[in-house]
Amino acid sequence: MRKRVYRFFGGLLTAQETWLNRMADRGYRLVRTGKLLYEFAECEPGQVQYGLEFIGQKARGSAEEYRTFLEDMGYRVFYKNINLNLSVGKVRWRPWAEKSGQIATNASTFNRELLIVEKHNDGTAFQLHTACEDRKTYYKTLRKPYLFFCSMSAVFGILMRSWVGIGFAALFLIPLVLYQMELVRLNRQARLEE
Amino acid sequence: MRDHVRGGALTEVTFYILLSLYIPRHGYAVMQFVEEKTGGRLLLGAGTLYGALNALQEKGWIAPCGASGGRKKEFVITAQGKQAAEREFARLAELVQTAAGIIGGAI
Repeated sequence: MRKRVYRFFGGLLTAQETWLNRMADRGYRLVRTGKLLYEFAECEPGQVQYGLEFIGQKARGSAEEYRTFLEDMGYRVFYKNINLNLSVGKVRWRPWAEKSGQIATNASTFNRELLIVEKHNDGTAFQLHTACEDRKTYYKTLRKPYLFFCSMSAVFGILMRSWVGIGFAALFLIPLVLYQMELVRLNRQARLEE
Repeated sequence: MRDHVRGGALTEVTFYILLSLYIPRHGYAVMQFVEEKTGGRLLLGAGTLYGALNALQEKGWIAPCGASGGRKKEFVITAQGKQAAEREFARLAELVQTAAGIIGGAI
């Protein structure tokens, strides 16, 4: 039997991953995603595991190539939006993205900023990024959009003397600081270990 | 992937990937090789493996191979990659010799 659940996690990637894994533990595996929709089918409890990855910086070609690579590894992969994007116009400028991914449209990673990766549960922890250097690169990728939005909001707030701008800057500062802390931790670890 | 630019030493992940590709393998087979040879000590995430394969391809140390009949992309080590692996082997042998001299005993 299918189960439909409507949730919105925004940029809370860990929360979304934890929730999907909890659903899997209760015997539900993902079959379809929509903007707010997660559709599940019944399975054996704990049969699958989920990992989430932000790919909003990737160009269309590299996003597709990465998805194919993951599917070749035997994983099931779903695209998911990070924002609700209720605005008109499906083109976004992402100065923090890789070169050919800076203009995001419906045909590229717009509304496909996240990859939900499903793996058959073999008893080992599921992590997409394991090496220290690679984890650092990934956290830098996650930090970039927040760094951009935080500085833009701060500049806007200061120039326009707007508390709204300052408020947004403060809001974007939270994930920025969290990702920065993780990067500092990894940098310390990298001095002695790989 | 920083170490081999800085000091000539390869990361463990890089070295294992190079070793696995002395025989043409696709991504999943590389992951299995690493897990098997390290007895599960070194688990390679798919994202890390993808990044490493791309970086090694850019350096010219590995190359895609085989007829593209199957969907899965296979890679194999190049002559340049073999040289890098041999350098790393010599470096590790020297390190093991030094460690054996200080710590003592055979492994």
